[in-house]
Amino acid sequence: MSSMEPSGDGGKWLDAHYDPVAGLYTFSSCVDLADLSGDGESRLVLGDLGSGSSGMKLKVYRGTALMSESTLLDLPAGLVAFFMDLHEPRIPAVAVASGPCIYVYKNMRPYYKFTLPGLEVNTLEQDVWQQVREGQIDPLTLKEMLESIRKKADTPLSVRSLRFLSLEPDEMEEFVQLQKQQPIKRQTVITCIGTLKKSTADEDGVSCLVIGTECSDVYILDPEAFIILTKMSLPAAPTMMDVTGQYDVEFRITVACRNGNIYILRRESDKPKYCVELSSHPVGLVRVGKNMVVGCTDESLQGFTQKGKKLWRVELPAPITTMASMDLPTKGFQAVLLGLANCEVHLYRDKNLLSTIKTPDVVSSICFGRYGREDGTLIMTTKGGGLMVKILKRTAAFEDRDNAPGPPLAQSIRLNVPKKTKLYVDQTLRERENGLAMHRAFQMDLSRLRLAAAKAYVKALESSLTPMSSSLTEPLKMNAVVQGLGPSFKLTLNVQNTAACRPVMNLAISFLYDEGLYRMKNPYMRIPLLVPGLIYPVETFVECTSDKGISDIIKVFVLHEGRSSPLLTAHINMPISEGLMLN
Amino acid sequence: MVVGKQMGLFDKLAGWLGLKKGVNVLCLGLDNSGKTTIINQLKPSNAQAQDIVPTIGFSIEKFKTSSLSFTVFDMSGQGRYRNLWEHYYKEGQAIIFVIDSADKLRMVVAKEELDTLLNHPDIKHRRIPILFFANKMDVRDALSSVKVSQLLCLENIKDKPWHICATDALKGEGLQEGVDWLQDQIKTMRM
Ligand SMILES: Nc1nc2c(ncn2[C@@H]2O[C@H](COP(=O)(O)OP(=O)(O)OP(=O)(O)O)[C@@H](O)[C@H]2O)c(=O)[nH]1
Ligand SMILES: [Mg+2]
Repeated sequence: MSSMEPSGDGGKWLDAHYDPVAGLYTFSSCVDLADLSGDGESRLVLGDLGSGSSGMKLKVYRGTALMSESTLLDLPAGLVAFFMDLHEPRIPAVAVASGPCIYVYKNMRPYYKFTLPGLEVNTLEQDVWQQVREGQIDPLTLKEMLESIRKKADTPLSVRSLRFLSLEPDEMEEFVQLQKQQPIKRQTVITCIGTLKKSTADEDGVSCLVIGTECSDVYILDPEAFIILTKMSLPAAPTMMDVTGQYDVEFRITVACRNGNIYILRRESDKPKYCVELSSHPVGLVRVGKNMVVGCTDESLQGFTQKGKKLWRVELPAPITTMASMDLPTKGFQAVLLGLANCEVHLYRDKNLLSTIKTPDVVSSICFGRYGREDGTLIMTTKGGGLMVKILKRTAAFEDRDNAPGPPLAQSIRLNVPKKTKLYVDQTLRERENGLAMHRAFQMDLSRLRLAAAKAYVKALESSLTPMSSSLTEPLKMNAVVQGLGPSFKLTLNVQNTAACRPVMNLAISFLYDEGLYRMKNPYMRIPLLVPGLIYPVETFVECTSDKGISDIIKVFVLHEGRSSPLLTAHINMPISEGLMLN
Repeated sequence: MVVGKQMGLFDKLAGWLGLKKGVNVLCLGLDNSGKTTIINQLKPSNAQAQDIVPTIGFSIEKFKTSSLSFTVFDMSGQGRYRNLWEHYYKEGQAIIFVIDSADKLRMVVAKEELDTLLNHPDIKHRRIPILFFANKMDVRDALSSVKVSQLLCLENIKDKPWHICATDALKGEGLQEGVDWLQDQIKTMRM
């Protein structure tokens, strides 16, 4: 029993066991739970892939301990526990699919080996090997002939010929001597395996084995006699499979294939009934109730009806490493468990994320069910070979909407949209009939509006009290305030350097005015150094020399010494002098 | 020893005079931990059942020690019946908590149920004695009572008297020690 860091799953799971160095290398398709001793305590059965070329084993765990292991001859492609007969005590058998065979174990002892029927061998290929046997051709000629057969023939070459073609010239002679006396066989291999109840839906009812093969066939096998009951064909090689129903009544086999499609096979036909074309390849297939949930390589999870109609799609934060269903009949709870490459396991019910479990390593296989005496047990193996067991708390409840991303609830509430009134209908008709004229009128109005806005802007610029300098080296801003009733006015120009950090120097202000109307004390002033950001008030006095009650514009120029064009100009609309002339 | 015999005589007298006091005990623990087997062992041999089947709901059993008579609520430990436990907390004057020491996987579940029990309002503030039986010690690879008490964090129980014994309910080993402790606890509480 090892302790683990808190897994951030909202306290729904108890950490029952974690062995980071269990040395288990397997996938969800090779893991099952079954009461293998008939004592009410479920065991964990795993097909361990070992290093991928050696050390393949069938392992059985009881509680936290490895109970038994036996060597497998070939890589396991799938493993299922199933009831093959009605004998008492009711103890399930274990079927391991590897290569072209199914190895059946009873009481964890080898019991039966089923081999898929051989495939038709290319007659030309057979003739060539016959000639080799008679010593008529040498290995190099053999290679040439096989290569030409491979290019032309409809029937693919046998594994032996393909192996031969991949050899280096110096290895050929030995290979030929070793092989030439054996008859040529062509075998397919099993890619996936599932179970299908024979005639009752009972928990411990007898089940048929359903297998998918590399040459795109699906076989249903009788569990007692191991004869092929049904053969069905698919357009591509199957990779994952879900089976539901009963063989004698009605069944449905959902198969994900290597061409990126999902096909649905039914009892009455040996060809797929429905097809779902996915936008990217499926990596996991789980049935939840009547719907299927598919995980794809584009980091998405998608829901479909059993007829292949798409229901929803959610994006995931990382690629999927494995998928399994979480079925808790006592609580009427069904969901999908997703192992992700970011060391998280996500639990989805439909498109809602219910809970997230953080794992210390990337999970490579998931299995949920009754283990030992605990119904809600989650078993995971990790990429590094670890074994992790979590038990769902008795009191755990999953809120459908806790932190689920997606559309807010309000979106699905129907709005009370009022009925279309006569006025509405009339308006719609009018819009339809006079569309062109209405559009033109709108464009005309829009142009007018723009013109009016431009005019107002120009006017504002001309008379504005807050003109700006557009010079990049001397960005300046100025506004003018006129105070007084006349005839004497005080003119305050607030000058500001709007540059971020550079001061402005050598500036001057000069005024241009009607000398018959106004008199100014000093129409030319120097401005001190302008520190950025500060406002410098520059004051001067203007006297109105006319008593005729008229006013005019005074133009202000901000100049830079040595440059003729002003940096900034402003027009000040002088108010009418209301005061009396004193002199 | 002499004292012990005298005590026994006194207790018997008390028993004959009908002075024996009844104590309500709750027997809790996960399913298959051996609760029913243990209680069956504590009953007089003529009243013992031969076959023990998983308890449904709960059953009420009685047994006597030298000076006390116990009424035991043998609760079912199956998940779906565990929510019944709390309805009997108020009546309980002592708790026997049974653990399957060979079930390492579910030690966390036993701990979870124990913690829920200890935090229940009807238990939390009472000085109620708890007797732990680390049962099935005969099974190969069973955990020791020390290891069980570590995994259940029993040292954290500060406000209640508790005691743990390793037992083999099939042979009845270790049970007497526990029941004696329980009897002493109840007697000191009543003085
Ligand atoms: N080896 C061994 N087996 C035991 C021991 N105690 C009980 N058992 C067995 O464990 C199984 C369960 O015992 P029960 O007494 O029914 O368990 P329980 O705690 O009452 O279970 P529920 O009523 O379901 O809560 C039975 O098969 C017993 O024979 C023990 O000390 N050692
Ligand atoms: Mg019982």
